[in-house]
Amino acid sequence: MKRTICLSLLVVLLILSVAACRPTEPPPAPTDTPPAAQPTKEAPPTEPPVVEKVSLRMWAHQNEAFNQGYEALIGAYEAENPNVQITLETFEYDLYIQTLQTAMPAGEEADILQLFGSWTSEYAERLAPAPEDVMSVAEAEDLFYAAPIGGFVVDGVLYGLPQEFNLEYGGVLVNKSKYDAAGLTFPPAWATRDDMLNDAQALVEIDDAGVMNVAGFHFTSSDPLAFDFLAGIRQRGGDYWTADQTGFAFNTPEAKATLEWMLSAVNEWKVVDPVLFNDEENWVGDAFFEGRVGLGYIGTWAIAEGRVGYPDFEDEWDYAWLPSHEGSPLFVADSGWGLVVSPNCDHKKVAWDFAKYAAANPDSALPWNLASGTIPAIPEVAQSGEIAKEMPWVAAALDLLPHGSYLGSMPDRDQVIYEIIYPHVLLALQGVETVDEALEAIDAEANASFE
Amino acid sequence: MRQRTLSSAKRQRSGLEVAKGRFVLSVTIPAVLYASIGLFTLGWAFVLMFFKYSPGRAGGPFLGLGGSNPFVGLKHFGDMIDGTSLQARLFRTSLGNTLIFAFAVLPLNLAITLPLAALIESVRSRLKTGYRAVYFLPVLTASVGVAMMWGYLYDPQAGLFNAIIRQLGGTPIAWLSDPRAEVLGVSVSMWAVIGAYLWADYGFNLVIFIAALQSIPSTFREAAVVDGANAWQVFTRVTIPLLRPTILFVCVMTMISSFQVFDIIQVMTDGGPNNRTRVLVLDIYKNAFRYQRMGWASAIAFVLVLIVMAITIVQMRLLRTEWEY
Repeated sequence: MKRTICLSLLVVLLILSVAACRPTEPPPAPTDTPPAAQPTKEAPPTEPPVVEKVSLRMWAHQNEAFNQGYEALIGAYEAENPNVQITLETFEYDLYIQTLQTAMPAGEEADILQLFGSWTSEYAERLAPAPEDVMSVAEAEDLFYAAPIGGFVVDGVLYGLPQEFNLEYGGVLVNKSKYDAAGLTFPPAWATRDDMLNDAQALVEIDDAGVMNVAGFHFTSSDPLAFDFLAGIRQRGGDYWTADQTGFAFNTPEAKATLEWMLSAVNEWKVVDPVLFNDEENWVGDAFFEGRVGLGYIGTWAIAEGRVGYPDFEDEWDYAWLPSHEGSPLFVADSGWGLVVSPNCDHKKVAWDFAKYAAANPDSALPWNLASGTIPAIPEVAQSGEIAKEMPWVAAALDLLPHGSYLGSMPDRDQVIYEIIYPHVLLALQGVETVDEALEAIDAEANASFE
Repeated sequence: MRQRTLSSAKRQRSGLEVAKGRFVLSVTIPAVLYASIGLFTLGWAFVLMFFKYSPGRAGGPFLGLGGSNPFVGLKHFGDMIDGTSLQARLFRTSLGNTLIFAFAVLPLNLAITLPLAALIESVRSRLKTGYRAVYFLPVLTASVGVAMMWGYLYDPQAGLFNAIIRQLGGTPIAWLSDPRAEVLGVSVSMWAVIGAYLWADYGFNLVIFIAALQSIPSTFREAAVVDGANAWQVFTRVTIPLLRPTILFVCVMTMISSFQVFDIIQVMTDGGPNNRTRVLVLDIYKNAFRYQRMGWASAIAFVLVLIVMAITIVQMRLLRTEWEY
């Protein structure tokens, strides 16, 4: 009898300890920084709030600027809808992807998820389509720029709403202090890419041992390299998709011309050493704010990150836009970060109401874009006076934005960009592969990703 | 009286047996239940390797298997051998890099730790303790911290190693980012990572060898000296053979941990340049958590287990001893 009681107690204790070991939701990220600008009081009324008490969880990746904006959005929405409570939980970037991958099959993901639009096609089976009364595809395509909304529409169904225009093409951080030291005219007024390369050449610093300490034009990180390559193809009149959009065509004269231009920037203009400046060494976002780059090719999202991450950087700096390779500045862009709703959410109507409030309402979207330093996904917001005042680099890009189109639904976007295009283009620039070898490899491997 | 004594003895033994039984059950039941959790996850990984599974796809009704996560049988293993896809080629690259890493680390580790242990063992006991503590400190350092520190040392512009090279009039090296630089056919970046790994790891084997050296009876060495052996002969003909069981243990443990290297490579090079330092565990991580190819990643993990098991068995066969002292 005693033995039975002891064994039973042991089993109960074990069950309790195993239950305690179940992963619990991580605590929300500390939000002791003050919220960013509040939405204006003139925000148009949203759908009538649901009366019952609603508690929603929202997940996002950790980016201090982004999350300050989210906290402000949530605070404003809760003020208008007192029965709704939204808890924001944030994760380090790589951990966020893993969290989505493990939580979604288990049905334990948050009600509202921040999702990168270009990933939507991979997760579509695990997302709730946007109800027609929230927004139809036609309405969304009318409201947002083409590139941001493109990724959130999968097989004609709208799965999310974008909050930013993720522009990796065309923008560069400019070190004004280095410009002044080199005696160059600031702000730069580049009519052509050669004008830019002229400036970049003057900004290069090489030590006595022949090591490049400062890159004049650092374009050899993964995102700018890949997206400038794709833009170069488009601007030269080509395309990287086959005519029926079922495969890739990278081994083309336009692709070759673009890669040869990049090679000349490295070998003839000598504005960057791609062995010393790439994703793994001297990544552009860090190297610029460490004073190792004159012109750093990176998306505008790096501006807010730089301000927060490098508050002691003493050089003066600004942001400028590159001329096109040739002709019209056609370019492609990812669908950037936006909001989607889980099909397991018990209050989908409220969740979609918040997503629409945050992303599709210009008066709410504006403060978030200001706080996060991102380009608005809504043209009306991008053209606003506040954006022109607080983010003049966006105002300078207004003519560029309509030339953007969505990257396209690749079978595995991350693999195509980061494991196929970027490595082979970099190897060509580093002299390990020839231009033809690089393009053949990109074409073969990218098409194999459809299998 | 004798009968009562015998009966009470039987009851005592029976009581002891019962207590022993209770203790065994109280220890083994929780251990078995805990192990069964691990068996469940291993079993799930074993199932996944036969499917083209991604957690982003809903798949069939039973655990998400089937449907958009189709059963592929042994296709993953076939692709590993002769597949032409990017992930198949990256697997073969990772396998080659892992073998290079493991088979370079082991002899270098032994070449450093064994003589160093013998040297430390030969000094006074007060100094011995201090040396042991100092050499063990890197083992206690977090591997991410080690990787970041060595990353700064290898920095091509501001790192210590290139500063020394500059002082000596040489050309600085892009230790971690030059895909063309090679020594003995192995990428310089791989040697750089091996160097960092050895620094972080050698202290562990060192203390094991020191303890083993201390356990060897001095009579064997004294007898060799009496027979005319010099210090080198004593070390190679007496000490090393007597250390064979310890060498076996160190070899097995070092190989296993070398095959599992991940964090130091991910932080220092993330598998670059040009996948020259991409190892199997990093390949598993990227496939599973970056590109959501859980089925393929599970298959690679299974192959890794088989390789480690095979190498461990070979080592145990080659280095086993049938004597004790």
